[in-house]
Amino acid sequence: MRDIFFDLSIRSVRLNFLRSLLASIGIVIGVVAISSMGMLGTNMQLMVKDQLTTGINTIAITPDVVRAEPGASVSTNTGITDIQLRDIRDAAGVNEVIPIDRTNTQFSIGSNDGRGSIYGLDPADIKNIMNVTEGSTIRGESDAIVGATIANRFNLLIGTRIKIGEPNISMTRPVVRVVGILPAAGLSSSNGINSDNAIIVSDTWYTNQYGGGNVYDQVNVNLKDVSTLSAVEDAIDKKVNRNKEVVRISDSSSRITSVSSTLSSLTTFILAIGSISLLVAATSIFNVMMMSVSERVQEIGILLSIGTEKGEIRRMFLYEAFILGIIGAIIGGIMSIIIGYSVVSAMIGNTAYFFLPESIVYIPAGMIVGMIVCIISGLYPAWKASNMDPIDALRSE
Amino acid sequence: MNGTPLIRLANVSKVYHLESGDFTALDHISLDISEGEFVALMGPSGSGKSTMMNQLGILDVPTTGKISIAGKNIASMTNLERTHMRRDVIGYVFQKFYLIPLLSAYENVEYPLILKYKKRDTSGRAAAVLKSVGFDEAMSAHRPNQLSGGQQQRVAIARALVNDPKILLCDEPTGNLDRKTGFQIMDILVGLHKEGKTVILVTHDPKIAEYAHRTIQLEDGRVVES
Repeated sequence: MRDIFFDLSIRSVRLNFLRSLLASIGIVIGVVAISSMGMLGTNMQLMVKDQLTTGINTIAITPDVVRAEPGASVSTNTGITDIQLRDIRDAAGVNEVIPIDRTNTQFSIGSNDGRGSIYGLDPADIKNIMNVTEGSTIRGESDAIVGATIANRFNLLIGTRIKIGEPNISMTRPVVRVVGILPAAGLSSSNGINSDNAIIVSDTWYTNQYGGGNVYDQVNVNLKDVSTLSAVEDAIDKKVNRNKEVVRISDSSSRITSVSSTLSSLTTFILAIGSISLLVAATSIFNVMMMSVSERVQEIGILLSIGTEKGEIRRMFLYEAFILGIIGAIIGGIMSIIIGYSVVSAMIGNTAYFFLPESIVYIPAGMIVGMIVCIISGLYPAWKASNMDPIDALRSE
Repeated sequence: MNGTPLIRLANVSKVYHLESGDFTALDHISLDISEGEFVALMGPSGSGKSTMMNQLGILDVPTTGKISIAGKNIASMTNLERTHMRRDVIGYVFQKFYLIPLLSAYENVEYPLILKYKKRDTSGRAAAVLKSVGFDEAMSAHRPNQLSGGQQQRVAIARALVNDPKILLCDEPTGNLDRKTGFQIMDILVGLHKEGKTVILVTHDPKIAEYAHRTIQLEDGRVVES
């Protein structure tokens, strides 16, 4: 059975088709704004999170205290000792443990001077953790791999020689030869090696130059299974920091959390901007409903005088708001897919995440919010209509 | 009837509070109308006819005094009960027809049935009543604005009748019709009275009032002749 009040509402919408359509367009815009803004934010979040999590399986262990030696020109890390390293290896179990030496230094390529980090790693580890896209991995003692930023800045090619250290007239500086170039890592270099601005050399070469053969600046533990992260961290902590805090154990999960929370507040913010358009839509629906009520005062008078209940009058106008809302929401939903997709591909340049549930859910959500807004906007007009005095309403022209 | 009249007004007053002072539209009126009567309510404009109709039609309640219709005290009813009384006990025929513009002729007649039974009419009652007032069946899908005044008033009468009310309240039912059509409408009302309806007719046309068996004359909110 079709409700006669629903019929009346449909006919009223049809009678004032243009006006109703214009009001619905407000809802369309609101739904599109909410959905595409929401999807934009979510897609951004998903993409950044994905980029970040490539390095999440690494635990970085660094010495807790940095002590400057009096009189020394450079501060020296106390470092992680061989004994501590052995403890770490014990605690890490099956996971890969990579000791790293690191320092900052000046270097020269031809007549150009630069500054960057030098990492000393076991060539076997380098082969495992570094993804050399150009050239090869380290084989000889004075071979080096360079990061993308350094390679670009100095136009480094395979075979280029780099002088390491401060220019010094009285001494010839040690030289390394570029054998491999790393791809740009950007944010994903969360494993404690900022490879973009680094020169990576073998540990033997490093200790020959800088000493500290049994002390390391950092130890990375690469997890085979990310879910064991906190368990492994706890094990290392128990074993190494037995008496007092001697090493600091960190991972990038906290950074991911903070970046995600920043991004999610950004999403909330752009959603709030989208909601403003719904507020405007609500006003226009409200306006149209008020017009509908004031144009039909006499009709309301007739309906009331021949025995229509107040609730039935209310229902009639709420149906009308609902019809406007559903038209707006359906058109808005369809347009959200098109516009949302365009916005995401234009602003993020990657639509791989667009059809994931986290992202696409903004379309039904936007539609529902649009319809709720519509019905809320219709509440007062409907209430006003149902509370008219039938005598006054009948008399009005 | 067991002696109780269908409509009883006991000392009914209606006072409107206006900025210019109180205006007494009805001034201590006591009146009985029995079931099956055909009453004409007459009087110059401003005499309180409309106010009286609003009282009899349960669209309003008196300031003082008591009205009972079909044995029920109007003032002590809830809003919803009054709405149901309007739907079930009273049929309204207005001068300007007051059909629902968005509904067809047939749907206008069906509407009170839907109000009462909360479902569409499948009994054929709406169509039968429409036919009984001489409405051309071929026009039943037309909207009110596509109908002549006489046809609209027939639809309005059919709508008033469809829930089988005891009372028919007719407010200048011929006021917007030409003379010939007006008399046709009056013939319908006479027929309905013969079938046992209580007909109350507001008019200032003495020719129309002649159809009634009793005339109540109002002046300045008082009954001057009954």
